[in-house]
Amino acid sequence: MRVNPNYTPDILADLWQSQAQEQTAIQQLATGKRVNMPSDDPAAAAADVQNQALQSQNDQYIQNTSNLDGSLQTADSALSSVVTALNQAISLGVQGANGGVSSADQQALALQVQSIQSQLVQLGNTSYQGSFLFGGTATQSAPFALDSTQPSGVLYSGNSGVNNVEIAPGSSLQVNLPGSQIFQGAGGNIMSSIQQLVTALQSGNTTNIGTATTQVGSALSYVSEQRVFYGSAVSQLNSNQSFLQQEQVSLQTQDTSLVGVDFAKAATDLSQAQAAQSATLAALAQIIPQSLLNYLK
Amino acid sequence: MGSLSSSMWIAAEALGADQGALDATSNNIANQNTPGYSREIPVLTDAAPTVEGNITYGNGVVLEQIQSVRDQVLQIQISDQNQQQGSAQAQYSAMQQVQGLFSDPTTGIGADATTFFNSISQLSTDPTSIPDRQAVLTAAQTVASDFNSTEQNLDSIQSGLNQSVTQTVTQINTLTKQIAQLNIQVGQMQQLGQDPGTLGDQETQLIQQLSQLTTVNQIQTENGLTLTTGNGTPLVVGGQSFALQTTNGPAGMTDISSQGQDVTSSLQGGQLGGDLQVRDTVIPGLRSQVDTLASQFATSINAAQASGYDLNGNAGQPIFSDTSGAGAASNLKVSMTDPSLIAASSDGTQGSNGNVANLLAVQTQALPAGESPVDAYANLVSQTGNLTSQANAEVTASTASLNQLNDQLGAVSGVSLDEETTNLMNYQRAYEASARVITTVDALTQSVLDMGSGVTAAP
Repeated sequence: MRVNPNYTPDILADLWQSQAQEQTAIQQLATGKRVNMPSDDPAAAAADVQNQALQSQNDQYIQNTSNLDGSLQTADSALSSVVTALNQAISLGVQGANGGVSSADQQALALQVQSIQSQLVQLGNTSYQGSFLFGGTATQSAPFALDSTQPSGVLYSGNSGVNNVEIAPGSSLQVNLPGSQIFQGAGGNIMSSIQQLVTALQSGNTTNIGTATTQVGSALSYVSEQRVFYGSAVSQLNSNQSFLQQEQVSLQTQDTSLVGVDFAKAATDLSQAQAAQSATLAALAQIIPQSLLNYLK
Repeated sequence: MGSLSSSMWIAAEALGADQGALDATSNNIANQNTPGYSREIPVLTDAAPTVEGNITYGNGVVLEQIQSVRDQVLQIQISDQNQQQGSAQAQYSAMQQVQGLFSDPTTGIGADATTFFNSISQLSTDPTSIPDRQAVLTAAQTVASDFNSTEQNLDSIQSGLNQSVTQTVTQINTLTKQIAQLNIQVGQMQQLGQDPGTLGDQETQLIQQLSQLTTVNQIQTENGLTLTTGNGTPLVVGGQSFALQTTNGPAGMTDISSQGQDVTSSLQGGQLGGDLQVRDTVIPGLRSQVDTLASQFATSINAAQASGYDLNGNAGQPIFSDTSGAGAASNLKVSMTDPSLIAASSDGTQGSNGNVANLLAVQTQALPAGESPVDAYANLVSQTGNLTSQANAEVTASTASLNQLNDQLGAVSGVSLDEETTNLMNYQRAYEASARVITTVDALTQSVLDMGSGVTAAP
């Protein structure tokens, strides 16, 4: 049977094919990626886009988590100082309620409680990076000010707004309690109980001093309850941080299995392509000089 | 009755026939690497015999003709594959450029839209921070310029294809003109029963080149070939070629017409068909998706802005300029310049981040077109990837099939040096033998002439 006498196009096509395979393998090894262009695996390339978006979003959640940590810690330690201050006020109140105390001593105690009152206002005006932590969402001006016209002796100019921040896909964390709730809550009004204690000490009425001291005590237990909010927010952030880091690792693993290269396979492909190429070249070198003319002398 | 002179004539005819056969062999060897050349074979037949009584005398050999060995069916199949390969190749190279715009998962519309949403999320941890607000505006700028450049790049690929269309039409016209000229001569020779030989080879070769450019239908008529495009628009009829015209169509794209009729949409196959497919169908489709994404993304962000309050306590103003329809992506701009105008607040107080949730919802919720922004972008990536890999698969398939057909054609029409060398020796021996016959007959004739002189010389 007659065959095509011109075999060079076929051999060249084989050569090009093995060269293309070689290039693909080299590119995969060089980039570490199996999918270098969408056409290499369109579905994986699209999934890669989504995966990269999730990774980047996850990075931002990690960033949010560490951003929030500072303000929550600051708020928590401010409330811890509030607790200390209230304890001092209680012991001052207990001293003042003691029958053997002189009126002058009671006035001195009243001054001390007043300084605690100022300290509490300062604590209520705790700020973090320029934002007041206990003003609700009115964070740009100090929420508390001493104001003798107020029954509680303190004017609250914040609001009752709260902020939430997304810290994981679909999960938000409330990041503040309004100062009105912490310092002037229905369950224990710090500011007015302190004001009452001051008034009672100034008047020298031991019964009133005792009542006011009890109220400061219940305000203390109330604020301790409020403080739990910040404590648990901080611990939620910590556990969220490790969840996000695990999530990041698992997203990266997914991405590698989507578009990453199997190095062993790519290396094998490369050596196979090289072997095919040298075999083709060897065959070409053998065949081309062959012709009947070689044997005619 | 046989005679010395008839033997002489037979040998002389044979010399001529062998010379012709050697010519054919020599021409084959000379053209062994000429593209499109079909090997020629000498058609030798024995001459009509002379009958005298019971004896039939052969009258030697006649070289009837020198015939090119062709396979018309294979040629038509090759032309078919040529137009498929041409089309696939054109689409593949255009799509490679297109998919390049969507190839890096860490840049482009998808990644930068995520960065934009991240900057908003960052702002939620400190809603009054001016640097964080500035970061949102900067990220918005990046998204807008991604949309702009994607559309502009698609536009320039489209213009490149348009240029290629115009050039291809010129090539087609040149080819049909050349084919028409050959077609007259080939037709005339065929009418006279002559083998068109190398003229036929040249015409076939030009038709194959033409099928790389567009689909060609061939009809054999008495006056040679009639060539039409896939839908019957005439290209060559007998000795006449019909040039395709180019005119400026809408949106700066070239339309193609034949004898006053717009045939752009009916041209398929070949490089022209492939270019037109990407220019008129694929890229406009992608552009309209990018436009829709740009316009719906901008509208959704602006709507979320409107539901909140800026740092000054005023209702949120649009971040992006309103765009819609064709060109939405290239017209997308960030209209906001003051970072304090980003509406993070839901209650008008500066420290509120309540509206961030509305802005972030755009990231995860489906746009009116049915997908979230990143999913819509991922969809574009997979579309361009699929189109490119399909075109690549077609190139591979049609190339393999073309190689196979060319192998088959080579087996029929290709010049084999071994075969030609063998023939060369055969004809050489035959020529030598015929020459020997002539010398022999000449010697015999001499002997006959010498017979008389021998008698007179006797004593």
